[in-house]
Amino acid sequence: MARMKFLCDIERCIACNGCVVACKEGHQLPTGIYRRRVIIINEGKPGEHSISIACMHCSDAPCIAVCPTGALYQREDGIVLVNKDVCIGCGYCFMACPFGAPQFPRDNAFGARGAMDKCTFCAGGPAPTFSEKERRLYGQNRIAEGKVPLCAGMCSTKALLAGDGAVIADIFQARVAKRGSGLAWGWSRAYKD
Amino acid sequence: MKKLVLFLLLIIVPAAVLAAGLLRVPATVSTTEIFRALNPIITDAWPREGREFITRVNSFKNYYGVLLAGLPLIFLVHYVVFGPKKFPESGEKVFYYGVFLRLVHWGAALTMSLLVLSGLAVIFAKFLGGGALVLKLRAVHVGAAFSFVPFGVLLFLLLLKDMFPAPYDLKWFLVLGGYLWRRQRPVPAGKFNAGQKLWFWLGTVGGIVMFYTGYTLYQFKAPVSVLRQYLVIHLSLGLAVFGLFLVHLYMSLLAVKGALRSMISGYKDREEVAYMHPKYYEKLKS
Repeated sequence: MARMKFLCDIERCIACNGCVVACKEGHQLPTGIYRRRVIIINEGKPGEHSISIACMHCSDAPCIAVCPTGALYQREDGIVLVNKDVCIGCGYCFMACPFGAPQFPRDNAFGARGAMDKCTFCAGGPAPTFSEKERRLYGQNRIAEGKVPLCAGMCSTKALLAGDGAVIADIFQARVAKRGSGLAWGWSRAYKD
Repeated sequence: MKKLVLFLLLIIVPAAVLAAGLLRVPATVSTTEIFRALNPIITDAWPREGREFITRVNSFKNYYGVLLAGLPLIFLVHYVVFGPKKFPESGEKVFYYGVFLRLVHWGAALTMSLLVLSGLAVIFAKFLGGGALVLKLRAVHVGAAFSFVPFGVLLFLLLLKDMFPAPYDLKWFLVLGGYLWRRQRPVPAGKFNAGQKLWFWLGTVGGIVMFYTGYTLYQFKAPVSVLRQYLVIHLSLGLAVFGLFLVHLYMSLLAVKGALRSMISGYKDREEVAYMHPKYYEKLKS
């Protein structure tokens, strides 16, 4: 089975924040909830680079490891999802996540955290596919419709790639080869000496 | 010929230098180098502490489980083997707890019980099925914490003068409070024994730490690294509070006959004071 992955080509990302807005609008997320965000280094200076970050749908996901309720689970295709009917909003997943992906609405009494919200890879949630409940709690289910996630679909420079990990790795490797900057990965690239 | 050399020197060379400067492309940086610069911003302190945090947080569930199952078992064995502490009754009573102290104690007892139960509900959320029930119990945990504060402060002020550590407290710990004696002998203790003192300091000073870390975790506005540390502190201290809560429960309800009655009426049997709090008893007699 295909292993779903995100890959952001940082040579192409222009920090337009289109992915962030597409995600927020497409899933009708409340203010303050960001399933995706853009991080910029050296802004306005030579060597400016940016990357679009969301849930990375880790293989051995730390959020699933620490969740005390078992609300978090991983699909066959690697997509990590949360069951909002089971989540208690304790925030352990946020503390365990390396990428700051889990988000919490604060619209309850005294600003208490509600159930966690995060990137679904546009694959909806555990509620029946295309149901009103799924749309309200988790947003669109574009994967079930056979579409790529909204953020990657609208990315104007095609920096953000989403889909079968093997396929997007091939696309990225071809790009790097064309740029002529040599190997994109390997021991000599990842580690000095 | 001279003119040509002069022309080259004055025009071409400076122009070439200028052009080279303008056209100079910044040295290419590999994608890996850029990721190296981005990673600390994205993952913050995770590479240093993430894995350790995950194993620690998960191990706490086991520790709480061991206390939850192990302590009642130990109590049962103790009750069967040694039995509760009973004292010959002469009918003489000693006034021990004032009415205000008793009221504050029961207020603290109620809120502390709620704190322990709702806290356990979060730790064993999977067992309860999570969802709306545990979400509400989390709210109870916050409410109970705020309600405990006034009782905790009053308890601290009312009992402080009797709770300072004394030299004989160490002896009390060494003989395990006399709870493993088959014969009734006076144990080294003042108005409150060393175990009660430990419970007092953990509940008040430890309570401040619990409240501060808990409130930060509730607000969730600190840097994630701080939140990780506070959660580990909250869970560690919580473990100690939970353990002593169970011990306190066993001692007062089962192990010492008349302990519960004394916290309701305010009076202890004279013999109980003589055996369990001899240093205080001597002070009363003189």
